[in-house]
Amino acid sequence: MPVAVGPYGQQQPNCFDRVKMGFMMGFAVGMAAGAMFGTFSCLRVGMRGRELMGGVGKTMLQSGGTFGTFMSIGMGIRC
Amino acid sequence: MEEYAREPCPWRIVDDCGGAFTMGAIGGGIFQAVKGFRNSPSGMNHRLKGSMTAIKTRAPQLGGSFAVWGGLFSMIDCGLVKVRGKEDPWNSITSGAMTGAILAARNGPVAMVGSAAMGGILLALIEGAGILLTRFASSQFPTGPQFAEEPAPMPAPSYGGDFRQYQ
Repeated sequence: MPVAVGPYGQQQPNCFDRVKMGFMMGFAVGMAAGAMFGTFSCLRVGMRGRELMGGVGKTMLQSGGTFGTFMSIGMGIRC
Repeated sequence: MEEYAREPCPWRIVDDCGGAFTMGAIGGGIFQAVKGFRNSPSGMNHRLKGSMTAIKTRAPQLGGSFAVWGGLFSMIDCGLVKVRGKEDPWNSITSGAMTGAILAARNGPVAMVGSAAMGGILLALIEGAGILLTRFASSQFPTGPQFAEEPAPMPAPSYGGDFRQYQ
């Protein structure tokens, strides 16, 4: 059985770790959601080719950032 | 660590509602501060004042819309738990979709379908991330599942509310 592996102590990861974890998770979810919704909305306004890539990437980063911020706040207020 | 396990059902609604409000208010405060700062006329005084005004007008509003999402979401979630008699990711996904649909009800059926799809997809993503994280965490450290389970249903309302706000 794993006994106290890794940098996270035994019992509970501390507050900052949890906030970081929340941010990472929110960022991942936001990236995925941004990829989906960004593709739709960029196609709708008529972007194609390279332009589309840029648009989708921007939306992904943006929504990942927003999502991650909110998620880390959500983790932060609970510890 | 005890408060980290999810609340039992009726109290979860209150918990989620308040958590969502706080989250929306704080997050809205941060974003609106930046936005107000950038949109004000130049001059440090004007900018600070502008960002203060933006925070005061918009952050509580955003918090309120988060709270509505969170409250309705966990209400439906609890209802589904009672009706179906089990708790699984489908509950959250369904209740996310239903919350989206209900909140868009006044904009007509097309908007309802769109908003429901959005809510469902977001919740599915979050649940998926939660499951992945749980699996990953349980192989990493012993207490993983406990705290990995919680974040999943909570922040969903948040983003939904946020998205709707800017739409």
